[in-house]
Amino acid sequence: MSAGRDMAKPRVNRFWSTVGAFVVIYALVKWGIPAASREVTGLPFPLPVPGALVFIYMTLAVVALAILVTFSDEYLNEFVGPVKKFLRGDYGRVPRMVVLVAMPLLVGWQVYAVTVPDVAVPASLRIQHPSSNFPKSFETLKNPLASPSDADVQAFIEQAKANTVAFIPQVAADVKRWREANAGKHALDFIPTSPMKKFVAALKSDSVDQSTAKAALLEKTLFEGRALYAMNCRACHGDSTAGDGPMADGFKLRPINFTDNGTIETIVEGYTFWRVTNGGPGLPTEATPWDSAMPEWKLSLTEEERWKIIFAEYDLAQKTPRIPESH
Amino acid sequence: MNVRTRLKRRALGIVAAAGLGLAFAAGALAADRPSKAKPPETPQLLEKGSVVYFQRCSFCHGLLGDGEGPAAAFLDPRPRDFTLGTYKFRTTQSGKLPTDEDLFRTVSRGLPGTAMQAFDNELIKNGLSEEERWAVIAYIKTFAREFNDPQFDPYKQTVALPQNLPAMSEATIAKGKEVFEHAKCWECHGKQGRGDGQKAFDRTDDWGFPIRIRNVTHPWKIKGGDTVEDIYMRFSTGINGTPMPSFVEGVKSAEDRWALATYIKSLQHKLTEHQVLRPLRIEGEVPLIPEDPAWAKAPPMDVRLAGQVVVPPRWQNPSVDFATVRAVANDKEISFLVHWDDPFKDVVHKDDQEFNPKDIAKVGAYNSYVDPYKMVPRKLETFRDAVALQFPVKRPEGTKKPHFLRGDASNPVHLWVWKADLEEQGKRSVEEAIARGWKQPAKAQAETQQQVSGKALWKEGRWSVVMKRPLITEDRSDIQFVPGVFIPMSLNLWDGSNGEHGLAMAISTWHYVFLEAPTPVRVYGYSAFAVLATGLVGFGLMKKVQKESKT
Repeated sequence: MSAGRDMAKPRVNRFWSTVGAFVVIYALVKWGIPAASREVTGLPFPLPVPGALVFIYMTLAVVALAILVTFSDEYLNEFVGPVKKFLRGDYGRVPRMVVLVAMPLLVGWQVYAVTVPDVAVPASLRIQHPSSNFPKSFETLKNPLASPSDADVQAFIEQAKANTVAFIPQVAADVKRWREANAGKHALDFIPTSPMKKFVAALKSDSVDQSTAKAALLEKTLFEGRALYAMNCRACHGDSTAGDGPMADGFKLRPINFTDNGTIETIVEGYTFWRVTNGGPGLPTEATPWDSAMPEWKLSLTEEERWKIIFAEYDLAQKTPRIPESH
Repeated sequence: MNVRTRLKRRALGIVAAAGLGLAFAAGALAADRPSKAKPPETPQLLEKGSVVYFQRCSFCHGLLGDGEGPAAAFLDPRPRDFTLGTYKFRTTQSGKLPTDEDLFRTVSRGLPGTAMQAFDNELIKNGLSEEERWAVIAYIKTFAREFNDPQFDPYKQTVALPQNLPAMSEATIAKGKEVFEHAKCWECHGKQGRGDGQKAFDRTDDWGFPIRIRNVTHPWKIKGGDTVEDIYMRFSTGINGTPMPSFVEGVKSAEDRWALATYIKSLQHKLTEHQVLRPLRIEGEVPLIPEDPAWAKAPPMDVRLAGQVVVPPRWQNPSVDFATVRAVANDKEISFLVHWDDPFKDVVHKDDQEFNPKDIAKVGAYNSYVDPYKMVPRKLETFRDAVALQFPVKRPEGTKKPHFLRGDASNPVHLWVWKADLEEQGKRSVEEAIARGWKQPAKAQAETQQQVSGKALWKEGRWSVVMKRPLITEDRSDIQFVPGVFIPMSLNLWDGSNGEHGLAMAISTWHYVFLEAPTPVRVYGYSAFAVLATGLVGFGLMKKVQKESKT
């Protein structure tokens, strides 16, 4: 029985198996790879194979199939057989006429499509983190506010004890009103985060140590940085740094979403500082400076204000900058 | 790349966009309602809420919850003052407090068209978890003592969404239009819903800030949400603190209010997505006036606008956030039509009222943004409405262009500036000017180089401005409209009564104008040759095979 079944199994003609193989390869390149790309990248959309690459794959497939078909005379005859039969009219004269007319039209259409002037918008390939004009001196720049000196911390402790901690003018009015409304509380109590609470408690019991004070000083810097971010950057980058501020939809090149992987965590702090400082106009040609709405902040913000903003921006986005390589 | 792969790509793009859209819609829905029960308001929750409030809310709403944070002075609409307990977007009766779920919804999905953005951590990676949102809501409620008073309990005065109402259809829309007429919605919102129904300009809300009547045709700016359900809720609950009343009494039947909501929904504009303006090619004269019926056949391109926040003085409160552009060309001339919604026609310009940005345009100034309440006069009869089309002076090679904000010294731009005051005075209303960067104002060209003519119309809360010029000119600093070339174009736009003038304006980034070029004859030649050659080979083979089989 089993032998009989083997005999009965219809053998696919070499012509159709060749055509079938071609179709399967095309389908794999066209739909299989993009479908697999979704699994690999985890993105909610497939990544299509570029047209030029499809062309190369299909040319290779044709060459391979041609080698296979011309492997021996027997193979070739088997392949050419149905074609000849078709051309003789053995499968009917009407289908033959249809194919013989349709094929030239199809080829003509393809030639037209390839030669007609393309009216696609000029593609603007853009390099997001250009390095061609990134000054070496910025590479190892560290945020001076992230690691205050012992003297700075000591000064902060003295100010806190004397109740003379000074804030930037942008937040001063709000802090003043809070203090007037909360006369019974410590002057730093409006910052309710745990490092500051710990510091205020230590002040009261006169047991302040350097690290507690340093953590509290960073909280103060963050507070000022967040306010400066809200005043200067929020309109485009959004109040959660997600690149979705009220102005974002107006710019074709959307403001960067700092909460995305591959944005501010892949660059060193010095690079962030350079971008904030020089903005769109500071970009090299490959990064399409003419489309960038990023301001040249050195015209408006002091260096200290820029560093405060960067400190707060990384904190708000819940990212850390890349550590510079040591040379 | 052939047509098929191009089409395929487009299809893939659509699928991808649809996928993203679906994902977003699902996320947005998820944000509306909490998935878990509300946690009890314990001291620990309030403590947590105070930290969230300090870190995420206080910079606009103020450390005391009074809406006076450092960023507040620069925002219109202003951040909410929580101490009054007056909330606009609720599912409770007019004048009542919101429910906790109402607040949850606002915190989760934000208020579109304002600085209040979504805080849902399913929409924003570093957003707030449900528990954090509940914590901050509990904390915000401590600012207004009404929330502690049982007689104000919002849960006793809720407005329910009606059940089993008809889906949006031609019939409900027609019915809704009748309700719109009958309930006199147009008295404020205008006949076309563009917010142009009121002549009065200087009215203020309960907080003393200027009132702008909503243009209901722009769904992305409808703060309470743009769905039929959201719109139904707005006229059933009113918007506390503003002249928008509840229509529960005015339109008694819930079904009528529902029909009205579907009508409003039907007025919402759908923005075009493309960046290329293709002028309609005609044989006769190009249109000169905005009323010309030829415009209807020209394909529109919506251009999104943002406030000019790139350089000081920065402006983040533009009142116009998109304009629609159309173009018609014959073989000699091209005519552009720009239209945008603006409820007030501003046709006066007083130079002496202009604002000097010197104080905010320096390093270390308090802020480089314009304070819309103190620095610029925002009133009628002060500044003109205006629009400018901007082109590069030199046709760009490759993708290189001047910067979209007025170019720079070595990459100048050419502006066609239409001014409403000149139009009103019957003078030539369009001025051609050259700008070399934003630091100096654009310079008008000599009289002999002024070749753009303009004509405008303001009707029912909408400006329509026509600008016409020969395709090709002798002027070397003019852009030449050559077929088959992508010509960059962007917009500058000013709403005078919003205080806009100079660099305090709305801007767009680069779009393109593309005049179709006739297909070269050789393309047809190649195609015909390909057809012929393939045909000959096919029939030749057939003959050959037939001959073989006979022998």
